[in-house]
Amino acid sequence: MSQTDLDIDRLAAEYAEQSPRAILELALDKFERIAISFSGAEDVTLIDIASKIRPDVQVFCLDTGRLHAETYRFIDRVREHYGISIDVLFPDTDAVQELVKNKGLFSFYRDGHQECCGIRKVLPLKRKLETLDAWITGQRRDQSPDTRNNVPVIQKDNAFSTADKTLVKFNPLANWSSNKVWEYIRGNDVPYNELHEKGYISIGCEPCTRPVLPGQHERMGRWWWEEATRKECGLHADNIKK
Amino acid sequence: MKITLVKKILADGSPCRKCAEVQERLEKEGLLDRIDETIIADERDSHSAGMQLASLYKVERAPFFMVEEEGSEPRIYTVYFKFVNEVLKQDTSEKDAAKDILDNNPDLDFL
Repeated sequence: MSQTDLDIDRLAAEYAEQSPRAILELALDKFERIAISFSGAEDVTLIDIASKIRPDVQVFCLDTGRLHAETYRFIDRVREHYGISIDVLFPDTDAVQELVKNKGLFSFYRDGHQECCGIRKVLPLKRKLETLDAWITGQRRDQSPDTRNNVPVIQKDNAFSTADKTLVKFNPLANWSSNKVWEYIRGNDVPYNELHEKGYISIGCEPCTRPVLPGQHERMGRWWWEEATRKECGLHADNIKK
Repeated sequence: MKITLVKKILADGSPCRKCAEVQERLEKEGLLDRIDETIIADERDSHSAGMQLASLYKVERAPFFMVEEEGSEPRIYTVYFKFVNEVLKQDTSEKDAAKDILDNNPDLDFL
């Protein structure tokens, strides 16, 4: 399927209220060069559903080199449980070495996490996405009230599309809440990261992730030291009088 | 071609950090003279020229660039490296490009 043949807006509207399975069926039917981005957390749900549709579904994982040991163990468990190969992507050695040499191992606490995440996550992701026509993420609207409020189930990926190629992004779990995901995990005996038993909700790199207290939003468990500046770039359009 | 840079002033009157960073990069890379006009989106004044432009083109982030060419619709760029590559035809480092992508797509944080 060529992306240009796909009316993304129409499909997004048509599938807006559909189940994750229906969205995954569409995605896997329309695209051959498509893969699931697996973070080593509850987005394992996607793998569980997708592997029942296409057992050899492509999965990749961004290994930043700073993940928890529990996450590495979990990635291997998922590989064995579903009998799939997981493409584990590593950052560019020179870029990491330069960052660490110049700024140390914990520069993100001082300078913000974007530079480190850029090198360890975004660049490997960009390289992978250059080989695909579409990708599938576990993004959900309830994950971050600031940044994921409007996550559609299907969208043109504006970050990684180029002048030559439109990349399509599927977010089959967009409409599901954390509770709904966990209902699925428990109801279907889906393996999960043991960090969830230790109070972690959102799971990323070890230095940038912490458990949260009961009732705290999962967002509080990631880059908590940056909260004050997080919204600075937004233009508060709601206040604009037209 | 006319290029407009829209910078923001926050609701508390302070300048936007990211806007200052972008201006610094333009200066450092010798590209500032390619910008024809700089206007301000002042969060304290919804009628400020920048806020009105943001509203007109449904731009939700600052800074941004508006590129106007005769005979075509204005193009809006919120990602610095894309603007520099596509409009000014300059190369940017992969590292800077990655940081720009994250700055403008905070939803990628959770991957």
